[in-house]
Amino acid sequence: MKYAVEIEKLNVYINGFHALKDVDLRVPQGSIFAVMGPSGSGKTTLLKVINRLIDLVPGARVEGSVRVLGVDALRADPYELRKKVGMMFQIPNPFPHMTVYENVAVSAKLNGAVGSRRELDQVVKWALETAMLWEEVKHRLDRYPSELSGGQRQRLCLARALAMRPELLLLDEPTANIDPVNARKLEEAIASLKGELTIIMVTHLPRQALRVADYVAIIYDGKIVEYGSSQEVFVRPSHTVTQLFLKGEV
Amino acid sequence: MSAPVGEMLSEKDKIFYFSLLPPALTTLGLLALIVSTIGAKAALVLPQALTILAANVWDPENERYGLLAPVLGTLVVASIAGAVSLALGLPLTLAVAELLRGRLGSVLQTLLEMASAFPTVVIGLWSARYLAPFLSENVMKPLYSSFGFIPTFSCRPLGGYSLLTAGLAIGFSVVPYTASIMIESYRLIPSTYREACYGIGATRYETARILVSLARPAIAGSVLLGVARAMGETTIAAMTVGNAMNISACLFEPSYTVPALIAAQFGNANLYRYAEPVLYLAALVVLALALALSAVGFKLVSGWRVRIVG
Amino acid sequence: MASWAVRKLEDRLFVVAVVLGSALALAPLAHALAVTLYNGLSTMARAGLGFFVNPPPTPYSASLGGVAPALVGSLLLLALALPPSAFLGLLLAVFTNEFPGSRAAALVEVGARAFTSVPTVILSMVAYSLLVVPTRSYSALAGAFALTAASLPYSYTAFSSALRMVPEMYREAAYSIGMSRWTTVWRVLVPIARRGIASGVLMTLTRILGETAALLFAVGALRYVVPLNPLGPVDALPLLIFDYALSPYKLFHEVAWGAAALLLIISLALFALSKVVVKGVRL
Repeated sequence: MKYAVEIEKLNVYINGFHALKDVDLRVPQGSIFAVMGPSGSGKTTLLKVINRLIDLVPGARVEGSVRVLGVDALRADPYELRKKVGMMFQIPNPFPHMTVYENVAVSAKLNGAVGSRRELDQVVKWALETAMLWEEVKHRLDRYPSELSGGQRQRLCLARALAMRPELLLLDEPTANIDPVNARKLEEAIASLKGELTIIMVTHLPRQALRVADYVAIIYDGKIVEYGSSQEVFVRPSHTVTQLFLKGEV
Repeated sequence: MSAPVGEMLSEKDKIFYFSLLPPALTTLGLLALIVSTIGAKAALVLPQALTILAANVWDPENERYGLLAPVLGTLVVASIAGAVSLALGLPLTLAVAELLRGRLGSVLQTLLEMASAFPTVVIGLWSARYLAPFLSENVMKPLYSSFGFIPTFSCRPLGGYSLLTAGLAIGFSVVPYTASIMIESYRLIPSTYREACYGIGATRYETARILVSLARPAIAGSVLLGVARAMGETTIAAMTVGNAMNISACLFEPSYTVPALIAAQFGNANLYRYAEPVLYLAALVVLALALALSAVGFKLVSGWRVRIVG
Repeated sequence: MASWAVRKLEDRLFVVAVVLGSALALAPLAHALAVTLYNGLSTMARAGLGFFVNPPPTPYSASLGGVAPALVGSLLLLALALPPSAFLGLLLAVFTNEFPGSRAAALVEVGARAFTSVPTVILSMVAYSLLVVPTRSYSALAGAFALTAASLPYSYTAFSSALRMVPEMYREAAYSIGMSRWTTVWRVLVPIARRGIASGVLMTLTRILGETAALLFAVGALRYVVPLNPLGPVDALPLLIFDYALSPYKLFHEVAWGAAALLLIISLALFALSKVVVKGVRL
């Protein structure tokens, strides 16, 4: 089995606070991997280590081994690394000064050898279709994100991430701030990507992980307390924390 | 295997950093250049600096110079301006940030910002043509005739050009600046303090008294920053101070400030041997004072802001 | 505590004091505005359109003439000083925004603050000794040097605060699609901050146009000829106002009022523009 991400003995300190403790994780390529846990447990920090956005956190110190897409992520050039790893954030952040079209196009142009305007149009269309947003914006491509709803903005962010043809996609609680209808659409879009790329999704909704993920890791207080295929973890949870978490008590 | 990331810069970041370093260093270099040029040009007379600062004479033909009058004048004018900016800035702050906090308050604040966009030379023109005669007729002459025995009022005004007029005029021009810093600081006071005051039934006056006393370091700092700015003010001073080497306790007579002296005398200074260096010395003194006061003022304001929010 | 009646009275007096104090604070400037516009506009009305194209009068001439040389001079100085001030200010703001923890950034911050405390007449003295004396000529270039130094700390501060207001999430978004730092700055951060930056440019413009002391010993006051040579002497509106106000001639005083009104109107118009420009930020 090939792994998109291999993490060994990862320890992260933020201004002295021990945010991630001895994390070991292997994410199989092409799978959808959910990371779950209560707020403050270190889920977002874990994602940020993978694409080196941890560099933006003041006072952060990282120790351990992190291999992403076959490369030593901690030693690589973060800008090159990020060209292969896409990310969606909890709060949708499409570029407010660019139109819907430009938001997706800028990503495509940065990362692909996109030639003519027609090819660019096709990539933009593909990305918006895969993000299940095309039908809603196909006549509004020159409008600005401020004119879209929260759920649409989040799907725009997905399209923007997809336009760079990433090998790995990181999702940080992507449905946390949008309404249920849009959340479902987003989940469908994510599920449809299975196999084409690897997805690591942070969520605090157990049902969402069940619906969408192949593998699950439960993280609590900076430590991975359980991980395996979603069947194993949800049907036969071994750790107390997992049980409590699944019951909604943590 | 460990890698301290976080604040660590990757290779590309380092290139970016070093590519922006030249402009940053150039700017700092410019500042250093300015200070060192002044210092170097004053070097010729630095050995006699204290003598010059203690003397009151301006006789370039005979190469006799004294900076006591302008230096004292600068201090007096800046103090008057500071007092004005405190006396008028505080009511403005309370009006904008305490009493009128809604729409009317922001209109007032916009007016204040507009006032800071006033070119000082226009204020100088107005001061010379209107403020000086007004003060002369309505303030100085009456005070001179009725209270002339008090040293401060003991001279006959000459058209109103004096330290008092200069101080007031510069004070009026500096009020918007001082008030804006006070307002910004006052707004940082957590609303819980205000709520606590009203909660125990305090009147607006009593609440304001408490909040103002809380903000005392910031207010003091703002006034110091205003005084530092007032020290360097040239055009208004040159148009209202009367340009006379004169030291007296009376505020109604013409006198000098250092910037006004420079404005008046620097143009001809190259005709004489020591005139320029002496003027550079004067500039150095004012520069040092202004920098020192600004530093203290800034420390007071920013230190207080950190404490009040934390 | 005093009786309620006394406290109420104190409260009322307090409000009166605040209102009076505020009025007293703004009244002089309001008066100055009114008087300048009144005197200046009547000068301009009497001089007609010639005010903008004619040279100034001699002390005893019959007509009011105009301020064309000073007006053109001011615009020339603006063209020479605004670009360096704005570009340098922007580069510095980008620098301190990208590397806020670095020692160089801290120095730049302190330096900018120190710069604002330097009396602008000193900048003129420095321009004189560094540029005018060696080249044996007053010049617009020397004036522009002094003006750039005078306005730089303000342009830096305005741009720096505009950039700092851009939410960090857009930087994260830009990095997440593989943008380099350089591209992120110029294609995401600066465009998002463009309103604040435009407002900063307008404020810098206002400052440059109104600055008098920095020009006193640098530009030479070429009063009667419209300047075409940046290497030669030049006049400027604030300089003309300053000189004419200090002169003994009534005619000069009238021209000074006209120029003052012109300068004031331009400054206030730029101020209004900068307020309008900032209004439409929609993040």
